[in-house]
Amino acid sequence: MSLHRFCLAGATFGLLIAAMQGRVMAFPVEGDQTALPVNTELNEDALDRPREVFRSELTGRKSYLVNLGNLAFSSPSILGGVARQANMSCGTCHVNGAGNPKFFMPKMSTRPGNFDTTGPLFNPRADNGLLDPVRIPSLRGVRYLAPYGADGRMASLHDFVRNVIVNEFAGPEPSPEIVDAIVSYLQDIDFLPNPSLGPGGRLAGKISESERRGEALFAKPFPHDPNKSCAGCHVPSGAFVDHKQHDVGSGGLFKTPTLRNADFNAPYFHDGRFDTYGQVVAHFDSVFALGLTAQDRKDLVAYLTAVGDGTLPYEHDGAGASLKEINDFATVLNTAIPASDKDVVALAVDTIGGELRELTEQYPDRKNTSVSGGEQERSSARAALKEVVLLLRRIDIAVGEGRTADAATDFRNYRYLMAAAVPSLLAGAEPWSLFNPVVHDQHYGALRQVMQSKHLSQ
Amino acid sequence: MKRVALCLVSFVLANGLCQASAAALDVAAERHRPYMIEGIGSALAGARDLRERVAAKDLAGAKKAWLSARAGWERSEVFTTGFVPELDALIDAWPNADSGFHAIEAKLFGAGTTDVESDADELVKHLDELHGKLRGMTLTPQGLLDGTARLAYEVGESKADGGESRISGTSLDDMRNNVAGIDFAYRTIFAEALEAADSKLDQSVRGRIEQLKKIVAAPDLPHVDVRALRQASEELVVALQAASVKMGLHRPTLEAQSR
Repeated sequence: MSLHRFCLAGATFGLLIAAMQGRVMAFPVEGDQTALPVNTELNEDALDRPREVFRSELTGRKSYLVNLGNLAFSSPSILGGVARQANMSCGTCHVNGAGNPKFFMPKMSTRPGNFDTTGPLFNPRADNGLLDPVRIPSLRGVRYLAPYGADGRMASLHDFVRNVIVNEFAGPEPSPEIVDAIVSYLQDIDFLPNPSLGPGGRLAGKISESERRGEALFAKPFPHDPNKSCAGCHVPSGAFVDHKQHDVGSGGLFKTPTLRNADFNAPYFHDGRFDTYGQVVAHFDSVFALGLTAQDRKDLVAYLTAVGDGTLPYEHDGAGASLKEINDFATVLNTAIPASDKDVVALAVDTIGGELRELTEQYPDRKNTSVSGGEQERSSARAALKEVVLLLRRIDIAVGEGRTADAATDFRNYRYLMAAAVPSLLAGAEPWSLFNPVVHDQHYGALRQVMQSKHLSQ
Repeated sequence: MKRVALCLVSFVLANGLCQASAAALDVAAERHRPYMIEGIGSALAGARDLRERVAAKDLAGAKKAWLSARAGWERSEVFTTGFVPELDALIDAWPNADSGFHAIEAKLFGAGTTDVESDADELVKHLDELHGKLRGMTLTPQGLLDGTARLAYEVGESKADGGESRISGTSLDDMRNNVAGIDFAYRTIFAEALEAADSKLDQSVRGRIEQLKKIVAAPDLPHVDVRALRQASEELVVALQAASVKMGLHRPTLEAQSR
């Protein structure tokens, strides 16, 4: 194993440990008064979030349409019914355009990381009467991955997005501009770079012997069906997909999933039945009678791990990351305010305001017993965030009343505050915020302790 | 020269108006005092009843008493955060407070135990202390406007996780009582002054409060239109910010002690 790979493996292990600790500390939706089933886990308190890489940022800046799409993707208001009430958006499942392996919803999931898009909760009319959840896929590189849906039933990403909004989540009919924008955003999300992959999807650089052997096995024809091989469907030169559906003994025809960045896409298979590459390889060995030795299996896993790698898969979810995303969202107002586009302004104000309110809650108020110190800093951070939420609301009101010039003035003030004062105040309060792992664990530990008192009585 | 004179006249008139308005608001703020005394008095009576029910090991009665005490408290939040921050933090601390409403809530409604005697004693003590302070407390219109705006903003916060009183399932009641407190504070203290200064803005504030009342009249928390709630909450605070200038007050703060 190269030093680079060793470091990556170490980092992955560290993240795994962090994720496991996160699971211990995670705080699922609770209480009898929520719109979602009790014990729903949205993983919204995660300290690390998948890193999102945009194609357009490699050469310049994201376009208006991409930012609008990202905004809509993060907005509960484009969905309907329970999802909207529960403050869920596309981004709840596809965190930063990746998946959400810890997402779990009773009655809609059979295990963390899958979800029944034809279940009874979000749109009863879409309910097929079966608990048949599918894995929440990562959307990285989705422009290479048609057809869409786990069963590949839709050729068009545009149609797929509309179907998710209207049929699966009971949202109102979206405007063509919003669907186009979401598609533009999705098509802009790149795979994480993987230095181990060279031209044609071949392993490159310093590769271990096991990975080399695995690469050869991957391309080797199946002993009982020489027309087939792993690489025949997971075409290395084509993002490791063939754009077709196959029956691989998992209960029907399902499209070939990509292997790129798949190290971070567990669970695997259409329903997320497998947690590890080892289980996946064992399944294929059994179904296709491949006759793999124990070493063969290890080699294939080593190869898959090398192919599925990606640089810096996660980033710490601090105020900086939140503000960057919020600032990207707010760029749509540069266009929407002068155009008096009430719908886009309302969408932006609702979504950005919601994000800012969530960010405010990262700085516990003075009545929170799980945090001590930094009271003035937390108070200043909260006050600043509330001020910008209200500035956005003023913009919404002004555009609604046709006072575009007033809206533009308020937006200038908003940008001014968001450029320096707000980041500075948030940075000052960060040690006492939920972005600090110690404070985070104290806070969620306290909440869990309180909620457990309820469970003990039941 | 004529322009300077006009400016001076304008300044004197404006200043006089502000002083008149300030004096009127001081008087109006006093009108809020009986409501505060009644609200905290109700919370105190509920807490005393809670203490008795707990001593009798009457869980159902204790829960009922807690709810009663809580309602009085939530109606009073317009002033508690700003005027008595230390007592506010002791009485309403969360999530795993040693004492106060939420500590008792977790045990009564969560664990289903009446083992809250010392917590109930503490709650009575703190509410009693607060109640005793109310008659002599200086009530400033600015402080009450700050509290009204803060609470109006807070009402719009997401309750997707079940809200503040998620163990007892009474977060919606909290919100209704908060809105009732906002409504009463506005009508008793500010409405008259704002109507005189800017009747359209007064109507705007009243309209937003009515909207909030309608939204929190939903049958249960999952049926509260959260987006409409947030919009109405923020529009109300924006209107109160505009109102502050018209009434000769400072722009309201959104966090206690952040002025």
